[in-house]
Amino acid sequence: MQILTKEAEHVIDVEKLTKRYGDLLAVNDISFTVRKGEVFAFLGPNGAGKTTTVEIIETIRTPTSGKVSLLGMDVTKKKRKIVRRIGVLPQEFSSFDRITVRETIQYYSRLFNCRNADIDGLIELANLKDKSKEQFKNLSGGLKQRLGIAIALVNNPDVVFLDEPTTGLDPRARREVWDVLLGLKKKGKTVFLTTHYMEEAELLADTVAIISRGSIVAMGSPEELIERNANYLALTLQSVDEKVFEIVQKMGFEPVKANHNNIKVRVQHPDDVQKILNTIKDAGASFLSLDVRKPNLEEVFLKLTGAALREDLAGGVAQ
Amino acid sequence: MSLRIIGANLIVSIKSFYREKTAVFFRLAFPVLLILVFGAIFMNQDNMHFGFYVQDLDGTNSSAELVKTLELNEKFKITRVDPAINATQYAKDNKLNLVVVIPKDYEKSLIQRVKRKDLDASATITYIYDPSSTSVATKMQVLNVVFAEINQRMSGKPPFITPAEESILNRKYRFIDFFVPGIIAMSVMTASLFGAVNVNAELRQKGVIRKLSTTPITHTDWILSNVMYQFLLAVISTISILLVSYAVFDVSLQLNFWLPVFVVLDVFAFVGIGMILTRVAKEAESAAAAANVIMFPMMFLSGTFFPVEMMPGFLQKLSRILPLYYVNEGLRASMIFVDNMVALRCSVIIGVFAAVVFVLGMMTTKWEEG
Repeated sequence: MQILTKEAEHVIDVEKLTKRYGDLLAVNDISFTVRKGEVFAFLGPNGAGKTTTVEIIETIRTPTSGKVSLLGMDVTKKKRKIVRRIGVLPQEFSSFDRITVRETIQYYSRLFNCRNADIDGLIELANLKDKSKEQFKNLSGGLKQRLGIAIALVNNPDVVFLDEPTTGLDPRARREVWDVLLGLKKKGKTVFLTTHYMEEAELLADTVAIISRGSIVAMGSPEELIERNANYLALTLQSVDEKVFEIVQKMGFEPVKANHNNIKVRVQHPDDVQKILNTIKDAGASFLSLDVRKPNLEEVFLKLTGAALREDLAGGVAQ
Repeated sequence: MSLRIIGANLIVSIKSFYREKTAVFFRLAFPVLLILVFGAIFMNQDNMHFGFYVQDLDGTNSSAELVKTLELNEKFKITRVDPAINATQYAKDNKLNLVVVIPKDYEKSLIQRVKRKDLDASATITYIYDPSSTSVATKMQVLNVVFAEINQRMSGKPPFITPAEESILNRKYRFIDFFVPGIIAMSVMTASLFGAVNVNAELRQKGVIRKLSTTPITHTDWILSNVMYQFLLAVISTISILLVSYAVFDVSLQLNFWLPVFVVLDVFAFVGIGMILTRVAKEAESAAAAANVIMFPMMFLSGTFFPVEMMPGFLQKLSRILPLYYVNEGLRASMIFVDNMVALRCSVIIGVFAAVVFVLGMMTTKWEEG
């Protein structure tokens, strides 16, 4: 009875997990739990240890030390039982080049011995209806990922693992994958997601674990994380006069110079924004436009790790 | 092991196969083309014709009869040269390697010898030849034999020594008959080796294997699927090789239960080697290169294209450690010589080899990563 309730609450239970590759410490003593029915996101840059962790839970890799249980079973001992109850979209998912979408889903449903797998339903869920006769090699990146998600669901799994489902996709294809994932979330599936897109984690996840260099640096709902770690407003003034920087600085804030004569200021309260604008006006200085927004996970990540989530953003954020 | 899973793999493999036209070509048409090309070459060897030119300077009935006698010998194909021209110059100009010249007084000498019993009367037949030609010596030898026979018959005495031919084979076999089993063994080997290497290395590199390792499919299911698929294709290509051999070259081969036995062992042995290579060489390209390194010596040194006996002693010894040699020997023993003992011995050797590499292959195939 004890085990049953535990499984009902904690689908995944990771305790002091460590993984080494020779001298490299890929995962360093991490612990977390995933509750039934939640979307749990591992957010972190490339090389943080996301895929290593997820592949250990999926039984593809073996841990160096620590205990990982999935659906109440030890992942190092019950591989055969576990694989029947999970669905996996591996990183850089690929399949047989000359096999069509429908045939591929059929193939995987046979591997799971699912005689009555709802292949049409899966094709519909992944929004692949007009591509069902297309061979895999002719599919675009987004379509391949959606097929991968459909395949991850053929055995009606208790947990779905999605390892970077939108990496390398253009923004539109990414949105289309998100639509499919939102459909999954609505169905109440337990989903373990890894990503380095904070929008993805913010949009989909109930719980986010921020992972950096093999360690979890923060964990909680996106709102909690922002509240806890980035409780401020980000004010950006665009195309400002020379003297605006000094004016704001004299007021006791810490402005930061950015591109195109922009300055960024963190303020604790909306009233501060009003104060700054009034002071600039009174001093006779000017700016072209302004932008005030609440910080997102990107800023939380930056604050916690001192590094950007993605390399392409590193330059912009550092300024 | 699950038959359902193996069936699902076979369906995917077969669909992938027939949707890839170049694979179909190399798998089926290539061995057939080899048979056609080499068959055509060996056909000529079996029915060799010696072509040469004759210049009849005598122009009499007797000389015409001599040419006719030469022509009646099935081996010769004779072209006449105008008696008025210079035969040596003509041979040079036209790059002929042999012009046989019948002298002017041929009939006169013949009459003197036959009617007047004049033993001094003789005729000299001149060979104008190109010594740089490789076939001319054989032609001249054969002609010498024919002339010696004519001389012998003219002496009016029966020959003392007469040769009699007795083949060690029950029936008359041609080179093409020896060639077909070799091509079957070789095409099954190359396809199994490359099939196993390409499929596994490519799918591993693409990450399909990683996906499969999160499904209920086991290594045994996967490997058995590979073997069954390769066996299926081996059966199809063997049948097409045999059909072409019978239809085009009218080969005479014994088809018995040894043929499928050797095809199965051939498949197991080389799928096993392929699996080991895929594990040792991680990239698809290096695995294919390693497969080539194994395949080429095997192809040329194990008696596929020419008999092992033609090679120098140390290479003959080397060929005896090549697994394909035993497939070749075994298939020839069963399909040509109907020698069950040799076939059995070869099948045991290749069977043990196949079992060892296959088990090694199973043991080295790993899906889980470190």
